[in-house]
Amino acid sequence: MQLLAPERLVVADDVCKLLPDSGLVRGRIIRCSGDAGLSLALSLCSRATQQGSWLGVVGVAHLGVLAAVEHGVSLERMVLVQPPNTSREWSVTVSAVIDGFDLLVVAVPARLSANDARRVQTRLQSRRAVMIIVDNMALSRSTSRFSAEREPDPFVADVILDTKTKSWSGIDNGSGYLQHRDVSIRVSGRRVARQREHLVTRRF
Amino acid sequence: MLASKRLAVLQCLDWSAVVAAKSSNSPCAVVHGQRVISRTPAAMQYGVQVGMRRRHAQALCPDIEIVAHEPNRDRSAFDTVIRTVNELVPLIEVSEPGLIVFAVRGPSRYMGGDEPMALKIIDALKTSIVANSLVGVGVADSRLAANIAAHASAVASNRSGLFAPYLVEPDKTSDWLAPQSVRVLSEFANINRETISLLERLGLNTLHDVCALGESVLAGRFGELGVELHRLSRGDEQHQLVVVAPPPEHLCVEKFDEPVCDQQVVVNSVQRMASAFTEYFSIHGTVCVRIIIAFESEDGKRSERLWYRPQGLTASAIVESAKWQLEAWLVATGLARVQLIADEVRADTARQLKLWGGTTQTDETATQAIGRLSELLGSSAVQIAKWQGGRDLLDSYELVSATHVQTIDSANSDKQSTVAKWRGALPTPSPSVVYNEPVQVQINDQHGKLLSVSARHELSASPVVVIIGTTSYKVISWAGPWPVEERWWDTARGRRLVRLQLVCEKITVEDTPQISAMLAILEHSEWTVAAIYG
Repeated sequence: MQLLAPERLVVADDVCKLLPDSGLVRGRIIRCSGDAGLSLALSLCSRATQQGSWLGVVGVAHLGVLAAVEHGVSLERMVLVQPPNTSREWSVTVSAVIDGFDLLVVAVPARLSANDARRVQTRLQSRRAVMIIVDNMALSRSTSRFSAEREPDPFVADVILDTKTKSWSGIDNGSGYLQHRDVSIRVSGRRVARQREHLVTRRF
Repeated sequence: MLASKRLAVLQCLDWSAVVAAKSSNSPCAVVHGQRVISRTPAAMQYGVQVGMRRRHAQALCPDIEIVAHEPNRDRSAFDTVIRTVNELVPLIEVSEPGLIVFAVRGPSRYMGGDEPMALKIIDALKTSIVANSLVGVGVADSRLAANIAAHASAVASNRSGLFAPYLVEPDKTSDWLAPQSVRVLSEFANINRETISLLERLGLNTLHDVCALGESVLAGRFGELGVELHRLSRGDEQHQLVVVAPPPEHLCVEKFDEPVCDQQVVVNSVQRMASAFTEYFSIHGTVCVRIIIAFESEDGKRSERLWYRPQGLTASAIVESAKWQLEAWLVATGLARVQLIADEVRADTARQLKLWGGTTQTDETATQAIGRLSELLGSSAVQIAKWQGGRDLLDSYELVSATHVQTIDSANSDKQSTVAKWRGALPTPSPSVVYNEPVQVQINDQHGKLLSVSARHELSASPVVVIIGTTSYKVISWAGPWPVEERWWDTARGRRLVRLQLVCEKITVEDTPQISAMLAILEHSEWTVAAIYG
């Protein structure tokens, strides 16, 4: 079965050119950061879930399910997991998800030890799953997520997609509604030969 | 294995509604996914039917009490009935709360015939049953026929006030079934309504018509479903009830050296046995569809129950059943012995891994992983989303525990793509970050005054600044206000709110502005951020 499995998971055409191998290569970690990170992560997952891969969403409590549907994620293969926040238990949970699922979208807790992160990464590589790390967008009164600069988590991502919304269109003072946005996506990471920057117009 | 063909069904009509109702005569309906799935006799008198929309039911009967579907409540209430019947009939099979099936060969012979047996059971039940649940007993040669008979018996005894079981004569089941309408298949045999409606449009109105077509014709048109249809309508049983001892390899016993009082320890050992069991069967390409779980206490008391799943029992299903049985069994002393007996085993066809569609290897491993995660974190921490409908972002999808994944897989998954948007729902695209608990914010106009909305849904001024915590954001553009009024007729649950889409820019010292779009809501004259277009 291991040999028959394709080396990479398919992604939708519009996000294909962002990735260095034009697909999600199994065993790798991709980080989607910035203000459009979560929706980019969802659109990366959509095609693979339609083709039968299961998606585990770990620790992203505030995921808008409706948005996931609109991105084309097939809901019957999406499972939401609420892991404990301590470092060890979190890594045990994520390892269990890696065992059964092809694709993971995870939000990393604040205090994850480097040891546990390495353990998860090793498991990911041996099980040939793909992990997409998104920012934790929890918004509280005291620490607004736009301002809080969190210390980086211990994972070493193979591909980093840093998003930045340039502008929204379809909305005007008092009329219309949010329709499209221009996002600049900077692609870097250790599997990317040369840092690139794309300007993409997206419906999300 | 000697199988008894003849079986009895004891049916408590509308069990979940009767259990949920506040008083015995109040109209009450149990609603799941906006549809009535069960209603009390009092509600039935108003014309409330199963399958009706919730709003329709409320229109027919304004006083109706609407209760959410809660399988645990039904199960625990049904335990008294199970216990009572179990005292008279040693081996019973509980398919679902409200329905008991057992082979009549032994009990009838012991109590002197089918009718005395049924009367005796009803007599015993009268003391234990929740008031006003209609009980019926039907005896026939197949589950479907016995089910219909039990329903008829319950309705008839309600009308006459005198209980009478409905007995279909031995070996006459297929004749008796022939004039029944095809609709009984959807009511009593889990055939979906679309299929029934198709049969009716094809001019097949009775089971006789279906039967007369011939099995091969039906199989050619409907595939496996056709074979099933033919089997049901000719009154054959797929898995017969067994009344004699099983072969030794289908038996798994664990004796505790010291009596165990902790339920968790017992459940753990059941889990071990169950996984060994299912592994043994899967190696042989078979699957266990019916299992007997028996517990024996230190002082010799026994609790024995039969569990049946036509699609095959997984290890987690066995453990779940054992838990149910243990919780219901009140025993003071510790347990000495646990026994699992595979009662009915068949070739594993339904779980065959398919090349195109159906269950694949990845589905299989994912289902296993879900089971393991639920064990690790508790089933409430592992969820999948199910469409439920609503205007609010949080309402449109309901998160349900993923351990029900098998039932959801079998449901039509492509339905959700055809679901239309609700009127008054937000325009697409939807925000990807939705907060369960909205965050309080301040939205001010250019004079620093808090923004308000008039009764005619007009903003007092254009929004200029959004303040979240200690950070302020400059509003670049905005849309709205969009009013939402829900359930204005209900003072307790009614909602009035106004939505506003905002595109904001963070005021920073850096030269690169940070733009974010959010959804603000004004409710009870307080602004909150409900979602972010992340």
